[in-house]
Amino acid sequence: MTELKSDSCCSPSTSLNQLPNIRILIDQKLCTGCGLCGEVCPFGLPQPIENGKYKISDVNLCTECSACKRNCPVDAISMYEQKGCGCLWDARQRIKNKGSTNSCCN
Amino acid sequence: MAVTYMRKLEEEPETYDSNFTTLTNGINLEVHNWVLNHLKESKTILEVGCGTGILASKMVNNGRSVVAIDKNFQMINQSMLNFPSDIDGTLLYQIGTFKDLPVPPNSQDVIVSTFMLSELRPFEQQIFLRNSWTALKQEGRLIIGAEFVPSGFWKIGFKLNRWRYKKKLHRLSLKNTYLVKWFINYFAPIGFNLVDSKKWNHGSIQALELMKVDEDNSNEPGYYEPPQKKYRGIGSQFRIFRCTLTGQADRVPIEPGIYRSGNPTKNSPIIVTSNYDFTYIKVMRNLRHIDAWVLCVDSNGINVWCAARGNDFGNEQILEAVEATGIKNFTDQKTLILPQLSAGGVSIPQLPKKSEKFPFKIKFGPVWSKHLPQYLEEKPNKKPDYMKLAKFSLSHRMRAWVTHTTFLLRKIFLLPIIGFLAIFVLSLPWINKLNWVAELISWIIISNALIAILFPLSSFTRSFIKKGMVFGFITSIVLGGISWLLHGSLIFILLNVILFFWIAFFSTMSFSGYTMATSPREIQEEYSSFKKINKFLLIIGIILSIIGIIIY
Repeated sequence: MTELKSDSCCSPSTSLNQLPNIRILIDQKLCTGCGLCGEVCPFGLPQPIENGKYKISDVNLCTECSACKRNCPVDAISMYEQKGCGCLWDARQRIKNKGSTNSCCN
Repeated sequence: MAVTYMRKLEEEPETYDSNFTTLTNGINLEVHNWVLNHLKESKTILEVGCGTGILASKMVNNGRSVVAIDKNFQMINQSMLNFPSDIDGTLLYQIGTFKDLPVPPNSQDVIVSTFMLSELRPFEQQIFLRNSWTALKQEGRLIIGAEFVPSGFWKIGFKLNRWRYKKKLHRLSLKNTYLVKWFINYFAPIGFNLVDSKKWNHGSIQALELMKVDEDNSNEPGYYEPPQKKYRGIGSQFRIFRCTLTGQADRVPIEPGIYRSGNPTKNSPIIVTSNYDFTYIKVMRNLRHIDAWVLCVDSNGINVWCAARGNDFGNEQILEAVEATGIKNFTDQKTLILPQLSAGGVSIPQLPKKSEKFPFKIKFGPVWSKHLPQYLEEKPNKKPDYMKLAKFSLSHRMRAWVTHTTFLLRKIFLLPIIGFLAIFVLSLPWINKLNWVAELISWIIISNALIAILFPLSSFTRSFIKKGMVFGFITSIVLGGISWLLHGSLIFILLNVILFFWIAFFSTMSFSGYTMATSPREIQEEYSSFKKINKFLLIIGIILSIIGIIIY
């Protein structure tokens, strides 16, 4: 994984555009190690590393539910946030309506 | 007639009035007349949801002062065009909503609102009533016209009609309006007396005149608390079964609001959850009469995880629930305990910092409500793994199998099955082919059971197309074996095997929503390939199976 040059890029979205294969990333410079991301992730992906900060342990298991990103008090988490649920019928609805949602799970 | 179609008519303000009159068979005009007759000597009037401003322009005479608000900018524009030239009073059209009425407290003689209630969700209706109460003078009146659910026999016709319009709106990518189910219970606790009412169309449209009362001179509107709902016994067990059977297809909302577990006091914790009937019953049972306030937010009758991802359980719903229920007056506790899975919709940093209106901090509790008693006792700062990991265990997968199979049979395979039955029954000599339909149904049930039980086998890949292929092979072998036992014909198996494969492939893809093993992006990226493979398999499968039916 390439290190993010956080001083050269201004917003999380630009940095992610440069690294299109990274789905979710905790910025080690911003992370305070509060551990809230670890408390909300239903798959236990954010794990503390030696310096007490947190790191996503297995990026591929992420369902992009955005719980960690939404609740990070210092905005240290960058991710692609695609609207919707990881569900075939939701995907169908969204592709049919070109992204606009009508109703999911109904 | 169904008022819900106004969602479509609102798109064209110029023709809204005439179309809406056609839609309601002119009852909207009768409602307007009823409202005008009940204004009496009132001088200051506020209309909420004025639409094209027609009613406001009729009310303004006799030296009255009318303020008419609507949230829709185009409607306000249209209202300006309908502004009466021979005005005898003052009339102001402006953009605004029930959430923030543009008038001082205790200032209005009458507040009028027609055909707006069905745009508001239950908590919003309560907030609207409370805000109106505050804006009205003593003994001021709230006059409401709206679509209600009629009672008894007429309910059936009403529901059918509404269902038809719902489909119509769905095709236009428009949302349905809300059913006004519980409104009648709200106004007494909030502080209104019913003075007069009239029903049209067997009660599917009603007008109500409510008078503000302040019995204890508190100068504060009251709060509504829904009646306690049973969560034990045979009746609630049937509600559980119902939700298990229809989980993917139906929303099953209960009244949002404050429920009591045990005998909660000022020191009892506040547990927040969704207003899905299944969730409610599970949470209440798992709390085992521990004294607690259970705040059901209005998640539209959807479970916590799906609601959080579908914008039905987020900051907006929490703030709304806190405002409408007055939960801060029930307890001194300043912590809301949310289900952990709601974190996909709730954002703590974006909630207002401790304020008069929202004096709470948020804690994410356990994933499963069965761990609530332990969580409440230990109040861990860092939850142990079993409290915070969402495992898709065998017992969950078995329940998901039931829910998903009934979903498939009802929403996908019902019409084909009826079609096959009709063809076979109509061509009488083929009556012995009916057992093919029975086999088809059992194939669907068996292949879904295989997927549910063996799902962890496919964890080597994230791609649901690959998972579908894996289960396609497994199912083909199992169903082929069963078919051999039943018919003993290799040719018949070969002619059906593509259909076996397709059923499992399609079911695996459709099962994705239960598994928590894919993300919105991954599944959306897979969708177009899925569509092609699906079509290919389905066409070949059907052709071969039909040949099988004919020659066998």
